[in-house]
Amino acid sequence: MKFALTTLSAAAGLLLVTACAKPPSEKLEAAEKAVKEAQESGAATYVAEDFAKLEGMLANAKKEIADQEAKFVLLRDYGKAEQLADTAKAEAVRVKNEAEKKKEEAKQAALQMQQVAQESVKATQELVAQAPAGKDRAALESIKADAQGLSASLDEVQKALDAGDYLGAQAKAKAIQDQSQKLATEIQAALAKVGGAKGKKGQQAKK
Amino acid sequence: MMAASPVQRFRVFCVTCVAAAAVSGCVQTVPGDLVEAVEALDRELATTRAAEFAPDEYSRFARHWVAFKAKLAAEEETIRWPWEPNRLETELRTLQEEGTWAKKEAERNREALRAKAETRVDRVERRLRDFQVRVNEIEGRAVLGARSVEAELLVRQARSFLENGQYDRSLEAAAQASKSLVDQVAALNSALGRYADAERINIWRRMVRQTIEWSRTHRAPAIVVSKADRILILYKNGRKVLSYPVRLGYNGMLEKRFQGDGATPEGRYRIVKKRGEGQTQFYRALQLDYPNADDRRRFRSARRAGDFPTEKGIGGLIEIHGIDNPFMNQTLGCIMLENPQMEALYNRVETGTPVTIVGALDVENSVSLVLADLEGSQNPEEET
Repeated sequence: MKFALTTLSAAAGLLLVTACAKPPSEKLEAAEKAVKEAQESGAATYVAEDFAKLEGMLANAKKEIADQEAKFVLLRDYGKAEQLADTAKAEAVRVKNEAEKKKEEAKQAALQMQQVAQESVKATQELVAQAPAGKDRAALESIKADAQGLSASLDEVQKALDAGDYLGAQAKAKAIQDQSQKLATEIQAALAKVGGAKGKKGQQAKK
Repeated sequence: MMAASPVQRFRVFCVTCVAAAAVSGCVQTVPGDLVEAVEALDRELATTRAAEFAPDEYSRFARHWVAFKAKLAAEEETIRWPWEPNRLETELRTLQEEGTWAKKEAERNREALRAKAETRVDRVERRLRDFQVRVNEIEGRAVLGARSVEAELLVRQARSFLENGQYDRSLEAAAQASKSLVDQVAALNSALGRYADAERINIWRRMVRQTIEWSRTHRAPAIVVSKADRILILYKNGRKVLSYPVRLGYNGMLEKRFQGDGATPEGRYRIVKKRGEGQTQFYRALQLDYPNADDRRRFRSARRAGDFPTEKGIGGLIEIHGIDNPFMNQTLGCIMLENPQMEALYNRVETGTPVTIVGALDVENSVSLVLADLEGSQNPEEET
């Protein structure tokens, strides 16, 4: 009788221990949140492979939970799922940091390019300002609009920067700089042809 | 000391068994060289940017790879009995196949996208160059204003994205550039479409016929200028006696609307003043009576309609003149001739000589032909 009671108590104890095994919902939620934060930091763009693996880790943790849930209640063990969720969370933090680092690098490169483009456009506008007076200014009139267009397009770079599109901002700024240099060459050639600077002889004629 | 859980006890049991097995003939299940091969493959996948170019395939591989590594870290199934199947090795081989497939797919997709982007960028660059050549032929750059730089910037961006391996964005920029070119052709058509308008051409032709008729009946010289042909023709007694090429305003193809627009006016004018040597900086000059009554009426009407800022004046001092600077290709709105030709013209006309300036003499003129050509070369759907 005593033996039967002992066996029964042991079985009940075991049942109590195993029946209390619950899926690590909070840990999984924390991992999901961390993965989402990594995604929001631009991980899919700046560290795409790492982010894909991270998604794989999260999927594995979920799969492990699903596998355990499919088992008979007394045989469930969520230890591994817990570990996988913890690892996914830790990895998500690392990936997020890495993405932020890469994003910051892209931002700095874009800002640098923006500055170069701004200076280049400014130099081009200064060249336009040297346009001669009088009839000789006709040589530059058709180019002036291009310089104005370049100046306006600098706003597009700022918009891309504000939207966090640093790769786009960089490409836009680079295009403006290249175009600005081309235009400057054209203006210099036109100025050389008409022989120079503002104030050259020429009547201020109505036209 | 806390009591061990059943799971922990089970693990201790397993470890004990494994230890016993190890000394009694069990074997390692993880072939190191295979793990290294998959690791190398993973690095290659990153270089190939597989997550971007074969997202589904890479995602599958990545999910299995991280699961496998987790399994290794947990030291599960790392040893086995010699007679047991090697599940980890099988898993690794599957992973290797998945990774190899993902790499192949990524390379294939990447190359296809690169080739597509390169073709589009090349095509839009060619279109831009052709467009610029055609626009320069009709001196339409000023007509496009600040817009003229837009397509060129987009094409540069498309090229830059292509060179940086951002093929999707390259295609996007190329499509935008293509659209910008379509918009610019539309803008040119809107500004210069009258050169292809048969009704307008008929009006111009009638004006020219009347001028020639005037010359015939008055037995006097009369001048006709065709802007599209950039030609000046002198008639005497109704017969053509000479024709010279001319240069026009930097916005010469447009109808003159206000002072400083760079356009050369169209209409019936007369020479009101002859400026000989020393009286003009342009060798010789024939001042016209722009603005005449028609010009003033048009100007007032356009200003009322808000077509241009109210502070703009109507302008004046439109001349046919010689060259001050041989490098000047355009004027501010006047008609410019080479000096020897200017001298010849100057000596054959008098104050009061009629000067009729028209857009074109034929429906098929340089501007209408270029516009038709540009219109025909547009195929925006191709770029999207």
